Amino acid sequence: MSKNPSNLKNIDRLIHEPTRLMIMTQLYVVESADFLFLQHQLKMTPGNLSSHLSKLEEAGYVEIVKEFIERKPHTALELTKKGRKAFREYQQNLKQVFGDLQK
Amino acid sequence: MNKRMSLKEVEKRTYMSYHQDGLLDIFVGVYVLLFGLGILLMTVTDFSTWFVIPAIFPAVMVPIWVSVKKRITMPRIGYVKFGSRGANKLMAIFIGLMVAGLGVFMVFTFASRSQGWALTLRNLIISNGMIIIGIGAAAISSLFAYTMGLNRLYVYGLLTLALFFAGHFITIPFGYFLLTIGLVIIINGFVLLMQFIRKYPLPQGDEANVEKSL
Repeated sequence: MSKNPSNLKNIDRLIHEPTRLMIMTQLYVVESADFLFLQHQLKMTPGNLSSHLSKLEEAGYVEIVKEFIERKPHTALELTKKGRKAFREYQQNLKQVFGDLQK
Repeated sequence: MNKRMSLKEVEKRTYMSYHQDGLLDIFVGVYVLLFGLGILLMTVTDFSTWFVIPAIFPAVMVPIWVSVKKRITMPRIGYVKFGSRGANKLMAIFIGLMVAGLGVFMVFTFASRSQGWALTLRNLIISNGMIIIGIGAAAISSLFAYTMGLNRLYVYGLLTLALFFAGHFITIPFGYFLLTIGLVIIINGFVLLMQFIRKYPLPQGDEANVEKSL
C-alpha cells in the first residue's frame, strides 16, 4: 500500500463503527458467544446489540446459530470466515494508515 | 472497551468474566482439601487408598462443574465457547508441568543412588522440601494466573508460599497446610459466587424477547 491518506477509504466502515468494532473484537477472540454474554461483556442494551448484529449478519460477517441447550432455546453468535478475514484486513489497513501518517 | 487494549487483553478479560462466578475456586479448593485430608488420614490410619479419592476427583469434578456452570452461570451471563488456542495453551502448561515433575523425580532417583553433589542436592531438597513445594506451587499458580488472566490465582499462590514457608519452621503435619489453603480457596469461591448471583440476576422477559427477534 502506498503512503497515501486516501488509504483511509479502504477502511471497512461497517467494522469501523465503534460499537460494531467492539462486537467484532469480542467475537474474534472466542469461538462463539451467545447474545446474553455479548450483552454483558460489552455493556449494551439488548435493542442496540440486536441492531448492530443484524447489520453484521447482513454483511455476512456474523453467523447467528439457533440451538437448544438443556432443552432451552439458545442463540449463538460467531464470526464467519468472511468476518474473520474482514477483521484481520481492517486491522492491517488501520496499522498501515497510522504508520503512513506518522512518517 | 474505552481504553487501548490488545486482543490478548480482550481474551483475558473474557476468561475473567466467565470465571468470576467462583465455581472454579470452589472445586479447586475442594480438591486441595481432599489432598490434605488424605495426608492426615494416612498418618492416623495408614489408609493409603484414601488417595484414590483426590486421584479420581478430576474425573468426577469436570461433569459436575459443567452442570453447575449451566445451571448458575450460563442463565445469568450467557455462554461462551473459547477457541482451541486457549485450550492448547493450557494443555501445553500441563504437559510442561508433567515433564518438569518427571524431570525432578528422575533427578531425585538418580541422586539417591549417587554420591557427591547429587547426594548433597538430594539432602538439600529434603531438608527444604516445604519451601521448595511452596515456591513450586506459587510458580504454577502464577503461570495459570498469567495465562488465564485470573488475578486471584496470584493471591492463592502467594498464600501457599507464605504457608509453606511458615511450615518450614513450624512442626505441624503437612496435611493441615493443604486443609487451610483448600478452605481459604473454597470460602473465597463462595463469596465470589454470592457476589456474582447478586450482580447478575436472571434475565427477565424483555431481554429474552429481543434475543428471540434476531
